Amino acid sequence: MMRRSVLTDSEIAAEINLSPMIDCIFILLIFFIVTTVFVEEPGLEVSRPDATIDRDLERNSIIIAISAENKIVYGGKELGVAGVGARVRQLLTREDLPVIIQADTRSDHGIFSDVWSEVKNAGAKRISLSTLKD
Amino acid sequence: MAKRSILSEDEQQTEIDLSPMIDCIFILLIFFIVTTVFVEEKGLEVYKPDAAASVALDVDDDITLEITASNVVMLEGEEIRMADVTARVRATVRDDDIPVIIRAHEKAKHGIFVSVWDAAARGGAKNMSFSTIN
Repeated sequence: MMRRSVLTDSEIAAEINLSPMIDCIFILLIFFIVTTVFVEEPGLEVSRPDATIDRDLERNSIIIAISAENKIVYGGKELGVAGVGARVRQLLTREDLPVIIQADTRSDHGIFSDVWSEVKNAGAKRISLSTLKD
Repeated sequence: MAKRSILSEDEQQTEIDLSPMIDCIFILLIFFIVTTVFVEEKGLEVYKPDAAASVALDVDDDITLEITASNVVMLEGEEIRMADVTARVRATVRDDDIPVIIRAHEKAKHGIFVSVWDAAARGGAKNMSFSTIN
């Protein structure tokens, strides 16, 4: 009688089969690992110019922003024109990344040109300017 | 006897406790979900003429679009409208190798520069570059 009750007890403690859940979580995990890029965002809202011939740029890039007041921002910090070259050179020693310049529509062309030259001299092979998403 | 053997079989089947692993995976999953940013940039790749290449370049054989400090677009010394840039470039660029150079004043707005670049590219210009005047 005693043994019987033990047996039924262990039968009542129903177990949930966790394997399908683990499978799902693994798939989610792999998705997020694969899609994650650690891009330092400028942290600045830029009104981008519109263009019709633009194309998708590489996700993993160095993004430098130029505000409407001609301020140059990288990773939430303001840089001088000379600082851009040093910063980009330092980043390129780790990995050869393309550079995206996010310049505001109202910023001066001279600043964009200076930043472009600095980035080019720092050794960046692909430099793009950011345009409006449509 | 038969019942006994079933019982002992049941006891021998050792189970791995998966809960700590699931905890770990959940933490990883949450980390990747939180850090994922879906940066999607659209843009144009821009070039400046190389110092070496500009020597070999025939002056008569290119199109120079000029953008003045007051954001006026000039082609061969005369003012043209933004809407005409595409048509004018298409009329001149018959074979793809004719270089198109955009000379923008450093005080010109970046938005105008991108519009001109876009318009010229739509006009069929393949070999495009920009320079800055002050």
